[in-house]
Amino acid sequence: MQQVLIWIIFAISGIFLVLTTLIIVNKAWRETQEATIARRRKELEPKILSWVHGDEKTVRKAFGENFSTSDTGVIEQILLDHVQRVRGIERDRLAQAMDQLGLVDGYLDGLNSRRWWRRAESAEKLGLSTTKRAIQPLSRALDDEIHEVRLRAAKALGMLGDAASALKLVRALNEPSRWSTIRVADILIGMGHKSVDAVIEAFPGLTREGQLAVLDIVGRVRLVSVTPWLVEKTKDESTDIRARAFHALGSIGDPSVTPELQAALNDKEWPVRAMAAKALGRMRITEAIPQLAKALRDEQWWVRHNAGRALRAMGPLGLYALERLVADGDVFAREQAILMLEEAGRVDERAAELVHEGPDERRVAKSLLEKIVASGTTGRLRVLSREHPVADVRRELSALLPEEVAS
Amino acid sequence: MAHEQILVVDDDALTARFIASLLREYDYDVLVAQDGVHALELLKRHEFAMVVCDLVMPYRDGFSVLRAIRQNIKLHDLPVLLVSMRDREEDIVRGLEEGADDYVIKPFNARELLARIRKILARKRKVS
Repeated sequence: MQQVLIWIIFAISGIFLVLTTLIIVNKAWRETQEATIARRRKELEPKILSWVHGDEKTVRKAFGENFSTSDTGVIEQILLDHVQRVRGIERDRLAQAMDQLGLVDGYLDGLNSRRWWRRAESAEKLGLSTTKRAIQPLSRALDDEIHEVRLRAAKALGMLGDAASALKLVRALNEPSRWSTIRVADILIGMGHKSVDAVIEAFPGLTREGQLAVLDIVGRVRLVSVTPWLVEKTKDESTDIRARAFHALGSIGDPSVTPELQAALNDKEWPVRAMAAKALGRMRITEAIPQLAKALRDEQWWVRHNAGRALRAMGPLGLYALERLVADGDVFAREQAILMLEEAGRVDERAAELVHEGPDERRVAKSLLEKIVASGTTGRLRVLSREHPVADVRRELSALLPEEVAS
Repeated sequence: MAHEQILVVDDDALTARFIASLLREYDYDVLVAQDGVHALELLKRHEFAMVVCDLVMPYRDGFSVLRAIRQNIKLHDLPVLLVSMRDREEDIVRGLEEGADDYVIKPFNARELLARIRKILARKRKVS
């Protein structure tokens, strides 16, 4: 029995010894590999960069005799690292080197791999390679069964960055997942004006989510020439399309659409009214102040909120309009107006004017603050009555506020 | 004329190597610092014609290096070109207001960067 135990102990020790040896050998082999790669990188990188900065056509001439196929991995890493960091001629030459060394062909083959991660990786590298040959294969990869491959292909098409790739990429806006649609839209926005014609052309054939994404894209790219097309979309029967079109018009900021925006404040659907109010605020259309003041009494909170913010954004004229609304018969309009005046610092300004040397300024300030007190929204005034740095202002405010509130 | 020496400051070693190789290709002498602290040490020990400096770095960022240069009586007129991924208007304005001679956004166009460096150096030579 004892003998058996001794043999078992020896056997287990032997297994551990073998495993330890394997681990050490493996680590030593990996470190040697890494050191070799680092050494080759140190030798090859200056040659590659020197070629990139020069005019020589063939990249292999950069290495001379000193090139072996085992260096391909190191060279690929150098090219991929640098191609992401530069633009212009240098980037084109790095991409040209990738093509000349057969790397692009390898990535194109990789797109047909059975392993999805290889397809995803190849798609990403094709984007970095900037080769126009990749547009068709990447476009096909947008129909890949794996979501990650589709997204990387979309990102790669975005990196290729021309109208042809945008045209292919627009199809991906029909992705069933909203998250994917947002990602693809971001890629198209990143492509700037080159994507605009493509998304407009594709608009009729897209899903509702895709169409909404297109309206966001054109709004974010901000091309004034798109304004007439957007105005047409503001007449769409869909509330979402109309609302998003007005939002985009506000982002572009072409003042010629002021009449449409003003009219939209009377739209029967509140999302459209809300977006029109927001757009008018962004564009600071002061002639819309009366309609925005009216919109502050809208039955929908979101419309009142956007109208209030719009008035606040319009500077002194908007603030005067808000001041007139603090005594409004509509309680929601009153509250929204006071909130905006507080946020704009107007309540603080008027409080300080209670001790202004000019009697007119004192009278105007007191009149406004009395209305605010009468409305019952006295939170900010209470704070100022305790904390304002000027003692006379604190005293005046305390006199205005009802006793129980001031205490 | 002796080669002008340029200090490249960037915590991203790849970008630093790329800029250094570009400048060496055009006969400039280049030293590389991997952060702001290292850059200020090199500035004490060497004489540079200009500094090409990244903005976002550990320990001391590009603004801090720029301020240290502008406040140093010996270095205050040393040209500094900021290179950064920060493309917001306020960063560019702040960089120029704090005394940078130019501001280039990453990823940069290498030929454009080189042209800007040459222009700064030519202006410096003209002044001195």
